[in-house]
Amino acid sequence: MRGCLPVRTVQCLAGLAVLGIASLVQAAADPTSQAAHAILQKHCLSCHGAGQMSGLDLRQRESLLKGGSRGPAVVVGDASQSLLYRSAAHLGEPKMPPGSRRPLPQGDLAILKEWIEAGAPYPEAGAAAGEPSWWSLKKPRRPQVPQLDESAPNPIDAFILAKLRERDLEPAPEADKATLLRRAYFDLIGLPPTPAQADRFLQNTSPDAFEELIDELLASSHYGERWGRHWLDVVRYADSAGFEGDVFYPNAWRYRDYVIKSFNEDKPYDRFVQEQIAGDELFPNNLEMEGFYDIDPEKLEHMEARIGTTLYTFGPEIQESHLDAERLRYERLTDAVDTTAAAFMGLTLECSRCHDHKFDPFTQKDYFRLQAVFAASSRKTIPVVSSMSTGHRREDYHRMIALAEARASYQRFEKQVKDRVIEIKKKDYPPEVVRAYEVPMEERSARELELAAPLAQFYMDMKIEDHLSDEETKRHGKHIRKLARAVLDVPVEDASHRVKYQGFFDVPSATVLGHLKPELVPDTYLLNRGELSLKREIVHPGLPAALRGGSVPDTLSMDPFGPRYRKQFALWLTRPTHPLTARVMANRIWQGHFGHGLVRTSNDFGRQGGRPSHPELLDWLATEFVDRGWSVKAMHRLIMLSDAYRRDSRYTTATHRQRDPENRLLWRMNRRRLEGEAVWDSLHAVAGNLNPAMGGRPTIPPLSKVEMSSLRIKPWWAVSEDPAAGRRRGVYILARRNFTFPMFDKFDVPNSSVSCAGREVTTVAPQALWSLNNDASFRQARVLADRLVREAGPGPEDQVELAWKLVLARPPTADERQEAITLLSRLTSSNGSRASHPSGEGAEPATGQREALTQLCLAMFNLSEFFYID
Amino acid sequence: MNPYSCNRRATASSRREFLTRSGLGFGGLALNCMLQAESAGADAPAAAAYNPLGVKPPHFAAKARSVIFIFLQGGPSQLETFDPKPELQKYDGQYLPPSYLKKGIGLAQIKAEESKLMGTRRVFRKHGQSGLEISDLFPKLSEFADDLAVIRSCYHESFIHGPAITIIHTGSLLMGQPSMGAWVLYGLGSETDNLPAYMVMADDYMRNSKSVIGSGFLPAVYQGTVLSTQGAALENLQPPGPVTQENQQAILSQLKQWNQRHLADRSDDSSLAARIRNYELAFRMQMAGPELIDLSREPKHINRLYGLDTKETANFGRMCLLSRRMVERGVRFVHLYNSDWDGHGECDKNHRENAIKTDGPVAGLLADLKQRGMLDSTLVVLAGEFGRTPIMQGKEGRDHSPYGFSVVMAGGGIKGGKAIGATDELGFYAAEDKVHVHDMHATMLELLGLDHHKLNVKVSGLEKRLTGVGEDGNHSVAKRLLAG
Repeated sequence: MRGCLPVRTVQCLAGLAVLGIASLVQAAADPTSQAAHAILQKHCLSCHGAGQMSGLDLRQRESLLKGGSRGPAVVVGDASQSLLYRSAAHLGEPKMPPGSRRPLPQGDLAILKEWIEAGAPYPEAGAAAGEPSWWSLKKPRRPQVPQLDESAPNPIDAFILAKLRERDLEPAPEADKATLLRRAYFDLIGLPPTPAQADRFLQNTSPDAFEELIDELLASSHYGERWGRHWLDVVRYADSAGFEGDVFYPNAWRYRDYVIKSFNEDKPYDRFVQEQIAGDELFPNNLEMEGFYDIDPEKLEHMEARIGTTLYTFGPEIQESHLDAERLRYERLTDAVDTTAAAFMGLTLECSRCHDHKFDPFTQKDYFRLQAVFAASSRKTIPVVSSMSTGHRREDYHRMIALAEARASYQRFEKQVKDRVIEIKKKDYPPEVVRAYEVPMEERSARELELAAPLAQFYMDMKIEDHLSDEETKRHGKHIRKLARAVLDVPVEDASHRVKYQGFFDVPSATVLGHLKPELVPDTYLLNRGELSLKREIVHPGLPAALRGGSVPDTLSMDPFGPRYRKQFALWLTRPTHPLTARVMANRIWQGHFGHGLVRTSNDFGRQGGRPSHPELLDWLATEFVDRGWSVKAMHRLIMLSDAYRRDSRYTTATHRQRDPENRLLWRMNRRRLEGEAVWDSLHAVAGNLNPAMGGRPTIPPLSKVEMSSLRIKPWWAVSEDPAAGRRRGVYILARRNFTFPMFDKFDVPNSSVSCAGREVTTVAPQALWSLNNDASFRQARVLADRLVREAGPGPEDQVELAWKLVLARPPTADERQEAITLLSRLTSSNGSRASHPSGEGAEPATGQREALTQLCLAMFNLSEFFYID
Repeated sequence: MNPYSCNRRATASSRREFLTRSGLGFGGLALNCMLQAESAGADAPAAAAYNPLGVKPPHFAAKARSVIFIFLQGGPSQLETFDPKPELQKYDGQYLPPSYLKKGIGLAQIKAEESKLMGTRRVFRKHGQSGLEISDLFPKLSEFADDLAVIRSCYHESFIHGPAITIIHTGSLLMGQPSMGAWVLYGLGSETDNLPAYMVMADDYMRNSKSVIGSGFLPAVYQGTVLSTQGAALENLQPPGPVTQENQQAILSQLKQWNQRHLADRSDDSSLAARIRNYELAFRMQMAGPELIDLSREPKHINRLYGLDTKETANFGRMCLLSRRMVERGVRFVHLYNSDWDGHGECDKNHRENAIKTDGPVAGLLADLKQRGMLDSTLVVLAGEFGRTPIMQGKEGRDHSPYGFSVVMAGGGIKGGKAIGATDELGFYAAEDKVHVHDMHATMLELLGLDHHKLNVKVSGLEKRLTGVGEDGNHSVAKRLLAG
């Protein structure tokens, strides 16, 4: 199937096909036209867009020519007679934009003039009638693959080479095998290859070696952890609500596990979307957890699908909004619609909450229609174990009562001691203080409260352990033992069903979407300026008018079984011909491999977003995605087996830099910095102590005191008891909205207030300080050093050899080997001299070597090569 | 919720790689929003060198170069501090007049119609040449009456701590927006190359944690750095135990060689070059961080001036002294948390206890800035997230009120010795010359030479104003605050 493309042949054959494509995009590519549209967008469309002020709509050529109440806006070919130009140039009334004191800049006017005289072209000229004019809202049509070579290369390359040929750019050569190895590992599983894995690939001379490697990695369960994390960014995943209270979402992690499992199982993406939006409505009548010792597998499957809807239960939320049910509901609906639009549709719909979208054909009504789709839903927390098991837990409930009693008994004892001590303390205070204190708290006047304060404070802060008599000490011990016994008596599991309780004694549960009773569903209103207090008309569930495509009725109808609006919406969204769903996801997959999508604004396919660099390729990928049963793994294979994916990232020439400095045409591979999680995971993987446990409640690694200092309530970061839990993959680390894991914070992990389309990459000094000085980085260096000694023996040469293979997946060069050994001996003698110093900590020379090796490993954790993927 | 973008985003329609100017090498960002800051929609030219923290010229001549924002967390009562209301004393113990109830007052913990008005126990006196009235909670601060401008008519829309703190810090009630320190850093850049230019200290806790001192949709490089007031001050400044300075230098020099060799093969990648320079900066930060917090060389009288010799004032005094040292060293924006003024219980008592901790250190800070000639270029702001109700909660408490509260400014081009705006006769609602929090922000930016209308970036295809002022928002600078 594949092999290095014979580029010259490609270029010759590409010529004809390319011409066709070029002429199609001519109008859009014309710089004057583009500039003119940018001017319209900046100065005119806020009123004469969807707003159609004075009946004038400048978004399409037809309506521009038709004009508004003042007549046609443009006389084609004659700027001086065109109302649009005259207004902008202040050549007469009206002067535009409204209130402007000066005409538009001369440069802008010149562009408008040229554009009008060129016939006022619009990029969409030639679009099929009846379809929306914007490219992303039109159905993807499978484009013809440019015919390049009889050896039938990967169609992806045909599209990319065609474009490169247009600009007369040579593609970079294929990267070497070692580079491809590391690229594939981080791309698919987010972990570095082990030396054994590296050797296996590098020594595999079969032409299918890379394909085999991809299949192997796609079959790894680490794949879901890697790609699941990408998806969690898109759906603003977090374990808490943010703001002051940062309320905990104890069941959010089930969604994280659901996502990881879905990717690992290669769940068809259409199904994945349907489950998240409407898992409960797809299988509405089969969710009671009844069964005997085992629950019907079908039920479990449906339960799992329902966990998809947990997506709508972990948004950012102001706890105090609960003071106002209507506001809370509105905030949740807003979050639901904004997240849905961004994640599944690649649309920035938020603006249309307050006004009709200025640039895209979405009205405020469309926006609230979508809110109405979610309006009948509510959050439900449901057990995920059989009702037999929840029954068993209730059988053991008396343990909780016993515990409460033991606590009450301790508290009574505590009060006795405190009361005794305070009587003694009273003697230190004047009578008016004592009198004030003796007035019952709720009856004290302000004056008395103030007088009583020192005693009250003493009472409150008192630790009885500091005041116990001998006899009380004995009783205290008894109470504590009784309490501990009562705590330990609470069962940790329902053994007969092999169900472990969550937290202390909680039934394993999921928080998912369910329904309000139809008669209780509040009406959804179109809100003026998006203000809750400014209600206009009632809006019913429905689809965005611009996307309905005529075939679907305006409003969604009530299902005979109840308001299944989400299901209807999800099924509509996942129709194979939907213009956005497949394109948006295909673009995200592409982004995961190349660092950028073909559309770089992967959450905004609207007019304010970026245009695709390769529109035909995107449409081809989108249709291919659907044709391959929405299989994400199939797309990975397809993309990774292209030549485009396998190019060298180092290749460059002045011509390339000048013609396409951003590499939009993909003449080479983009270099990428590892994400915070990938750095964390790698540090553990190379040291050999990565804990591969999957799933479950979020893990909480230990932090230094300084790292904890900005955390308001320290128990919010309740460090996991098991030290191994602190060495799990980053995707499992607690994601609090109010307190990002400090290492992630430095390496650009999003804070999840809204959908994140792609990670920002900053390069700042605190990152260097982290990898140089942080406890975790140093600890990992030490673990790696010990591993080197264990696995490579005492010889520095062998240790350095293995260090390079582990950290960089390649052997050191001769220079590097020598430099590393020199550094080692320098560090050893420095450490050794300290150790032999009388005031040293009595360390032996061996300790000096261990320190030196640790510090060499620390240096390696700071290599650019470690942080970047070529 | 946040209508615009994710916190750490990469949605700009065309990323560019930027080189970083040497020396100030924080940079190497790949983000086009900065370039598009003032040229929405248009493709800005690729800059050959770009340092996101490089010093940038202001939009117009600036009066202030840096800001010390003293956040009185919890919401101090205007009625006990800067807004004398003799009429309120007369109505003490009575219910709110019906004219008030018609407004449908939203309050956090009490019902307006069931609560009685409560006068203050504080005594207001005129101070200085100007005769500015300040309560006896702040005897030392009052000595600087002629330097203080009190805005008595501040207001915003949330009576709940979380969102109120968010809007004071970021100009928006929602999460995920950049904070004002980030705006200022974005607009003006950093004048220090070995310290974070936006620093935050708290005497107790930060109610919204770090979510309100973040960079929002701006790059993380603009976010606030929390300086712990106890123990090691900044994260990761201390090499791990066994790594001596000598060893670290050996490691760094070998590391540099290796990283440069890696770069040589990839010389067109500016982020790799920036990365190498970051190790030099990191090394300098290791020196500058401890030097900053080492107060041992400050003379005794300075320690006394800030109240470091007194138990009550030592903690906040240290923060104020550190603030002056930061500004001296080029830190652009210092944000102090002073807690906690949330006087639901006994408001007067709460405020007296807080004022004792706060009054001396803040007055010391003003005196010290003044004697060093730094006050003119340093804007000092005192503000809570809201004020409190003239009606009583429980036993002499006051509930939250965002409807009319006081903010104090000094230095940095502020015309001192005056009160601006007024609340109504009971001190409940801002009534004259109303100053929205957005106006307050606009005024602060004006003093720094920044036009808040121009502080825009493009995010997810939307032109987004940093200060959170909506497109319809027409917020203005409170001109009367500014010195001639």
